[in-house]
Formats: sequence, C-alpha cells, structure tokens
Amino acid sequence: MKNGSDVKGSVLRIERTSIHDGPGLRTVLFLKGCPLRCRWCSTPESQRSDPEKGYARERCIGCGVCVRSCPEGALSFSADRQKVCTDSSKCQKCFLCVAKCPQRAMKQYGSFMSVAEVVREITKDEIFFFHSGGGVTISGGEPLNQPDFTSEVLRECKERGIHTAIETALHAPWKSIEKVLPWLDVLFVDIKHMDQRNHKEWVGTGNSLIHDNIRRIDQSKYPVEIIVRIPLIPGINDSNANLLAVGEFCKSIHKLKEIELLPYHRLGVETYKNLEVDYRLKDMEPPSLERIMDRANLLSKCNMSVPVRIGGGFTGKLPDHKVKDEESSRKVGG
Amino acid sequence: MSKIENEPKYMDRVHRLKNRVLGTRPEMDLENARILTESFKETEGEPLVVRKAKAFRKQCVEKTVKIWDDELIIGSSGSKMRAGILNAETCWSVLDDELETISERRYDPFYLKSEERRIFEEEIRPYWKGRSNYEEWLAQIPDDTRELRDNGVIYIDRKAVRGWGETTAGYQWLISEGVLGIVKAVKKRRAELDLTVPGDYEKDYYLKSLLIVAEGMISLAERYAEEADRLASTEKDSQRKKELLEIAGICRHVPANPARTFREALQSLYFYQISVFMEQNAASYNPGRMDQYLWPYYKSDIESGRIAVEEVQELLDCLWVKFSEPCLFQDATTAEFAAGYPMFQNVCVGGVDDAGRDAVNDLSYMIIQATMDVQLYQPSLSVRYSLAKNPNSFLRKVVELVSLGTGFPAFHNDDVGIRMLMNKGIPLREAYNWNPCGCVETNLEGRLRHYTALADINLGSMVEFGLLDGKSRKSGKYVSARTGSPEEFETYDDFVAAVKEHIQYATRAVVKANHVIDEVGMNRPVPALSFTFKECIEKAKDYAWGGAKYNTGNGIILIGVADLINSMAAVRHVVFDTKQATMAELLDALDRDFEGYEEIQKLCTDAPKYGNDDQVVDDIAGDMFTFIADEIEKYSSKFGRMTPGILPVSGNTPFGLEVGALPSGRKAWKPLADGVSPSGGTDFNGPSSVLKSVANIPHGRFVQGTLLNMKVEPAMLSTENGITQMMALLKSMCSLGVYHVQFNVIDQQKLIRAQKNPDEYRGLLVRVAGYTAYFVELGKDVQDDIIGRTIQHGISPIANRH
Repeated sequence: MKNGSDVKGSVLRIERTSIHDGPGLRTVLFLKGCPLRCRWCSTPESQRSDPEKGYARERCIGCGVCVRSCPEGALSFSADRQKVCTDSSKCQKCFLCVAKCPQRAMKQYGSFMSVAEVVREITKDEIFFFHSGGGVTISGGEPLNQPDFTSEVLRECKERGIHTAIETALHAPWKSIEKVLPWLDVLFVDIKHMDQRNHKEWVGTGNSLIHDNIRRIDQSKYPVEIIVRIPLIPGINDSNANLLAVGEFCKSIHKLKEIELLPYHRLGVETYKNLEVDYRLKDMEPPSLERIMDRANLLSKCNMSVPVRIGGGFTGKLPDHKVKDEESSRKVGG
Repeated sequence: MSKIENEPKYMDRVHRLKNRVLGTRPEMDLENARILTESFKETEGEPLVVRKAKAFRKQCVEKTVKIWDDELIIGSSGSKMRAGILNAETCWSVLDDELETISERRYDPFYLKSEERRIFEEEIRPYWKGRSNYEEWLAQIPDDTRELRDNGVIYIDRKAVRGWGETTAGYQWLISEGVLGIVKAVKKRRAELDLTVPGDYEKDYYLKSLLIVAEGMISLAERYAEEADRLASTEKDSQRKKELLEIAGICRHVPANPARTFREALQSLYFYQISVFMEQNAASYNPGRMDQYLWPYYKSDIESGRIAVEEVQELLDCLWVKFSEPCLFQDATTAEFAAGYPMFQNVCVGGVDDAGRDAVNDLSYMIIQATMDVQLYQPSLSVRYSLAKNPNSFLRKVVELVSLGTGFPAFHNDDVGIRMLMNKGIPLREAYNWNPCGCVETNLEGRLRHYTALADINLGSMVEFGLLDGKSRKSGKYVSARTGSPEEFETYDDFVAAVKEHIQYATRAVVKANHVIDEVGMNRPVPALSFTFKECIEKAKDYAWGGAKYNTGNGIILIGVADLINSMAAVRHVVFDTKQATMAELLDALDRDFEGYEEIQKLCTDAPKYGNDDQVVDDIAGDMFTFIADEIEKYSSKFGRMTPGILPVSGNTPFGLEVGALPSGRKAWKPLADGVSPSGGTDFNGPSSVLKSVANIPHGRFVQGTLLNMKVEPAMLSTENGITQMMALLKSMCSLGVYHVQFNVIDQQKLIRAQKNPDEYRGLLVRVAGYTAYFVELGKDVQDDIIGRTIQHGISPIANRH
C-alpha cells in the first residue's frame, strides 16, 4: 500500500454544504465503484470504478467539435447524424471531447484524486463544520470499495478535528471495515431488503454479509454511531412484512441512533440516458406523502428506542404547504 | 399574503392598513412644491437657508393634513397617501423632462393628474427655471466626467436629482428633548453670538432658520391634532372616536415636548421623519437603532402597566405601514439604477451597545416581528449580528424572518460594520453605535455627514477599455485613457496594468465631479434635517456645509465586481496561462459577441469563476479590490477622505446595457453581476463556496458597505434542521469577515408566473440587490435578472443521491 496522502481514489464528485447526510453542514465525498446494482439506484454514474463518459443526446447540436478533436478517432456520427457514437475500444478516456463540447452534451463522471487533494477540498469548509457541528461524509458508490483511500481521508480529517461519517451498504470484507472504524463517528448503512432472495433479485447480492458486518461493528470496541437507512421502494421493499423485519433486526443493534426512510425518487433518470444504460424502474412513481408517513408509523410501532425519520432531502410529491423533508418534528417513534 | 390562523386580533387593523397602501397608485404630489415656490416669491433677498426654513414652515402651516381611517400613527409629507414629492429648488426640471411619460414610464411611474400638471407648468416651472441645483450641476459637470457618464461608464447624477438622504438624523435627541428642548439649545447658542464679530451674523441667521423650522414642526403637529378632533366630533364608532381623541392628545404633546410614552415616542419619530422628507425628497433617511433608543419608553410603559405587549406590537406594525406610504420620486434613469420607489428607510436591530455588550432586547424581536406581520417593502429592516455577543434565539428569529421570503432582513456582520466606521475615522466608542444606512452603507446617528453613494463606476467598462485601448464598444468612442493594443501585452500583468489605469481614470473623473457636487451642495442647506445634529447647532453650520460632528468624503460605488474578476481570470487562464486562444482570437470573439466563436466562448465560460472557492480566481478579487480601495482612498474632498462601497441596488442592469461581451463569457448588453455576488449561474459549489470567495474582498475597507445576494430554495428554511443549518451558515459568514448577506427565498417558477400575471402577485415582495420592492413594479429586465440568479443548490433537497 502506498503511504498517506499519495493514495489515489476514484472520486465521482464532492458536494459542499449538504444538510442531508449527517449532522450539521457537510461536505460529501462521492466515490466511484459499487459492488451492488440496486435497480432503483439514482446514481448510476457511481457504479463503475473508473471515470467514465456520459452523453446527453438532447443537448447535442451535432457541431462535430468532439469528433474532430478526439486524438484516437474514437468518435463518429451515427449514420443519420442524429448522435455521436463513441467506440469504447478506441477511447482512452482523455475526456478532451468533454472539455471541447460547447453544449456540455459530453460529460465526465469521476476522476482520480489524491488523498491530499480531497482533504484540501474538505478542509475548505472547516469554519462551516465548526459552527454547524458538521464534517465530512464519504458516500458513493461504495466507500468501502476503496478502503485504503477512504481510511486515509477519514484519518486526515479526524486528525484535524473534523467530524466523519460514511454512507455504505457494508457489502465488504471485514478487513476493509476495520480500516475505517478507528476514524469514524457515524456510519450510515442501508438495509435494502431483509429477504435473502429478494435482496439478490433487486440488489444483485445476498444480504448475510451485510447483516454479519452490522452485528460485528455493533460488538466492536469502536464507539461509532449507526444510522440505518431504508430506501423506500414502492412494491419492492415497502411491505409490512419487510419493514417489520427490518424493525426487528434494528432492535438488536445497540449502537443504533436513528432510522431514516429514504423515499424513492427519480432524479437519476437523465443520468441513465446519458450513460446509455437502461433504467428498468423508469415507470415507477415516487411514493405519496401519505404512504411515506404510513410506512414511518408502521416502523415506529416496533418499539425501538430510536427515532424514525424521513430523510434524504425528499423531493417527491409532498403537498407544498404541509411538510417538507427532514422535519425534526416528524420523529414518529421513540 | 395569506395569514396563518390564530393570528392576534390586532392584525385585523394591520391588514386593512396594508391593503389600502397596496391598493393605492403612486402619484405625483406638487402641493408642497407649490407652497415652497410661493414662499420663495415672498422671501426674495433673504439668506437662502432662511428662505428654505420659511418655505418649510409655510408647508407645515398650509399643507393638506389628512388622517386616514384606522390609523394609530399618523402624518404624511405630501397631501396624498403614496405621494412622489418634487423638490422644485433642487430639480424641478426632472419632471419637466418627463411630463409626457411620468405616468406610464417603465420604472417607478407616478400618475400625474392634469390638475397637478397645470400647477407645475403655471407656477413651478416659470419660477425655478435656471435656479435649481440640478441645473447648476449640469452647467458645471467636468467634460471628462460628462463623457464617461454619457457612455455609461459612471453614473453620477443621482445627487443632483434628489435631496440629501443617506443619513441618520438625531431621532433619539428629538424624542427625548422634544422640539422645544432643542429650541432651548439653539437659543442658548444664539445668545452667545456677538454680531460685531465677523462670521457671527451668518451663524445668527442660520440659528434663526432652525427656530423657524421648529415653529413649522410644532404647528404641523397642532394641525394634525385639530384634524383628529374634527374627525372625532363626527365619528360614529365609539372606539375610533376614542382613538382619534388619543391621537389629538398625542399630537398636542409631541414632537414639541419630550415623549412620555412608547406611543408618543413613535409618533414623535414619525413626525420628524415626514418633516425631513418634506424638506428634501430623498432616499435613505434611516430611523436606525430603534430597539435601542425606544427601549426606555417601552420598558417604563410595560413596567408601569400603561401598555400591553400586544399593543406595542400593533403600534410598531402601524408605523411600519406608514413607512411604506411615501414613494421616492427621481428621474427615469436614476429609477432604473434603483427601482421600486426605494425609500430605504433603514431600521436596525441587534448588535452591541456603547460598551460593546449584547444590545439585543425584547424590542429587537418585536421589530423583527413587525416586519414579519406587515410584509411591506418598508422600512428596510437590517440586523446587526454580533457573533460573539448576540444570543442564538435572536439569530433564530432572524432566520424565521428570512424564511418568509420577503428578502428581509439585510443581515450585517456587526464586527465588520464597526470596523468600517472606524475606517471612516470614527472612534471605537462611537463606532459601536453604528447603523446600516439605505442599502448596506454605514451611518452614525445625528453625527455623520456624507453621501454614501455619490457615484457608481462600471467595472465591466474597465475590462472593456483594457481590451480596446480605452474605447467604448457600444459608442466606438475613445473615452478613457489610451493603454495600447492588448495584442502587444506580453504578460497578464500588462493587461492588469491597463485595467488599473482605466480604474484610475474613472476614479479621477468621479473625484473631480465630486468636488462640483460638494460645491453645488453648499446651496442646498437643510435646516429641518440639521435640527437634530447637535454639532450643527454648536457650530451654527448646516449639515450641507459640514456642520455634523464627523464629515467624510462621499461614497464611490463599484458595480460589476464578478464581471471584473471573472474577466481578468479568463484572460489570464485562456490567453496567458493555458494559451488556448490568442489575444487576437479572444478580441474577435468579443467583437462578434461570440457569434461563430462558440469554442472560445466555451473556453471563457469554463475558465475559473469567482464564487466557487477557487483560490486562483479569488486571489484576483483580493488584489483588485485592495487596489481599488487604495485608489479611492488616495483622494479627499473638502469634507474628508473618499469612501468606497459595493452596492449596486439595481444599477447592474442599466450598466450592463453599456458593456459589450466580456472575457468572462458574458454576452453583450446583459446585466452585470450585483454587489459582491457571483455572476448568475457561475457558482456551482453551494453557499459555503460563495461565502469563501466573497470573503476575499477586503470588506472592512469598503466602508460604504458590500452587498451579497444569495438565493435559497424554501426547503432550506422550512425544516427545523434547515433553520439550524442556516444559523450556522450565518455564523460562518461572520467568522469569514463577510459584511452583509441577504437571501431571496422565492422560487423561480413563482417569479415567472408573477412576471406574466402581475395582477395576481401585486403584494409579492422581492429583494432587488439591496432592498425590497414589489416585484410586479420592477422592469422586465430587472425581473429577469432576479429570475436568473443561481439557486444555491447545496441547500436544495436534491443533495442526497442514493
């Protein structure tokens, strides 16, 4: 392993001043690469490990700047000149076409950054962390897919007194998890489905490794706070049976601080198009507010000692005047 | 504006008062111009200041006196509710130029009735032709200044087309001593004079003019008392009859005598407010720190049980509606630079007291509540927030007001405000007592004289000149220094040197004109305003002549901050650092407004931009604005060192019309960026990045204030967590040393709808770079500018993608 800040990570993007990913104002570091393939994933550009290119066809005016500028000759117009095609066998991912495209139809998803570069970005908001109790949240993709990088970033932040969190699915070997735990204040973990077969069907892997990891972290010596997140996907994991099973499972987690429901949304639809990936849930409607409230109430009936919240900056069909996202007053349980 | 259920009973009255103001069309009101003219005919040969005082007294004695239904606080400068007053002696010809268009003009129209037009044409114009301050100015404006003005490089007519304003009179002194108490001080000073001593004659007639003004104010109040009695005698409703009799009693006591109660203090204040406005139509007569100087009256009334807290709130709310009645009259161009009938009566709460301790009290909260209750465009509510001293509960109240989306309050970092006053030469002890003025400028009650915003300099033009050897792209004329062909620039520093030379050129032109304005201003004494400046009495010297305790040079305002920074960054990045295009290619692209040069436009728009916490570009901000502050501070007027500020009001839009395409990627003739805010749509990293970038400007040196607009989606402010984070954001902003921020919380869709259906959105408030106005009363391009400003996406609900 390389040492300290020389380690490079595959970074999707860095977003600052988030209020949805842990306490306070936070800088969220999105990493690329994920072992899961949740069908509802709203960040398809985070799934593959390496930087990749997207193409927003409807923005393209067919000016041909990209075709002319490609040093590998990997780009060409389709026969009807309606779109630009990239020959992936030739493309060297120099992203010159992205830099040149006057319409911003060509997009670059992700780049390699060193720990030092990333930490420099994170520390820019130290004064905001100080006043808000915020910090850094490493998200993805799957941060544990790059355990050395993630752990180095967290360590560098922790040494600067910055509050740390990761958002993970915990589908990772224990030795990866062990690398980050010493530097971690809060761990957000998704529980997507309690049923093994359904999990495999919708997420692409089984769930026993995930559950084992949660239990192991809970029993470990590290005083990390665990927040369980449940993506609420209509018709897939929002049944009474599944939610009650999640509730039952959560009861056994001693370090659990909160459960957050993340209602399904469709903000990623465009990105699927740009990546020319088929989005199989494209006709799914986000759950109604009534449904979300009803599901939250159901969970809260599990007699857990922690609050159930609706989180994640929900943008679904909430009535204008009534309730917005993350209302702290909406602590249904506890 | 929909109101929540269970709102207090007093809100019924507030809604009635408010709806009446909203339903009233602004009108020209020439009554007091007519009375002034008659008075001047009667006083030929007397000293100017005495003639002014006598005209003021005659206005007080003869003007129409009206008390509107339901009012508790009463009084108007004019004869109409939403009146535009003409200062004939200052600028009669402004109306003359716009007689045909004033009723329907694009910005701030005033309905001109044929009756009023007759008064103007038959009585006012014939007398004043050739005698006004505005005509003096036009005759004396230096040639190079005129050329820059005519090419939209500077805007400098503002002070000649309206009165002084931009000041904070001694309200506290007036309320506590009463007019008669101050009269005593005037008489005492007058008794010390010896008319055989040279100079004492001038002092004598000056002090006499103050006594004449005092007589006017007292008789005006008496006339309101009589009107209240008259109305009471025929009033059927017993409750209203009682109110009218109370009003009569109060008007018989104040402003003549010291206020005894909270209500008398408010009425005394408002009488004085209409008096100074009557004397000189101008923006920005600032009531200032009302939570401080009204506190003793509030405290003693509450403690003695004379008044209930709800009654105090009702009175404040009633006063707030009064503040929204008058409408600033100015010429069409000036209105374009500051649209929305901008009275800028700036009320301030919070901050520290004269020992530097927490000054927040119950009234601070109630004054914020008044703005939340009334939601009209006046008064301009400012907060002085002391990070170290003010409590979180106060900050929370501030955020609750922000969340209403009215654009209020203007949030000021107290430490930087204090620093600005000190940088104006005011000792710390007094600087603690500063108050925001007008838009975001800085003032000191009853002690400080200057124009806070004398002239605006177009920074977009400075870039353009640097690239065109001093030529205006629009007019094709060489109007600035000749700095050579940019193709000869060997380094980025050569370009910087050229831009700096143009800034120097424009600054010199403004300073020269400043001296002319100062000279013309000597013929514009204001005895009613000077009446509450202690040192004006002590020195027997008018405010206009430098009688105030502190006098500084006037404010020079910079517009197009982000355009300057981004353009310089783009030239450096594209032409010199990465050499992606040559200077010649860039110049061609700019000349064609990027048409056919889309690749170069992309290089320009992709160059580093201010507002993203990118040190490469933010360093330019620090360097250039240190240079600009140095440059302006190099000059003094006869009153003191010149003072820089960055507050565009809406001037970024008309200035933009004068500037061709810029290296920042901005297309020709589009609005410039406002204040110290990033250019619309060029900040992508959320609010913390904006604040970090903005912090690179040395705010404390721009002593007339720096203005930052940030637009937020309602989501940030509609949740408990959002509110908490907003508080943290504001604290962080203070830690960073940014001076001011205001938030526009209205969503774009609503604005677009309002633009299409103005009738449905008559009450919709929006903040236009520094003040709040009715959105539907603004011009379309100002509306478009607001709509185009970047939404701070970091606090939008889409930050989380799983």
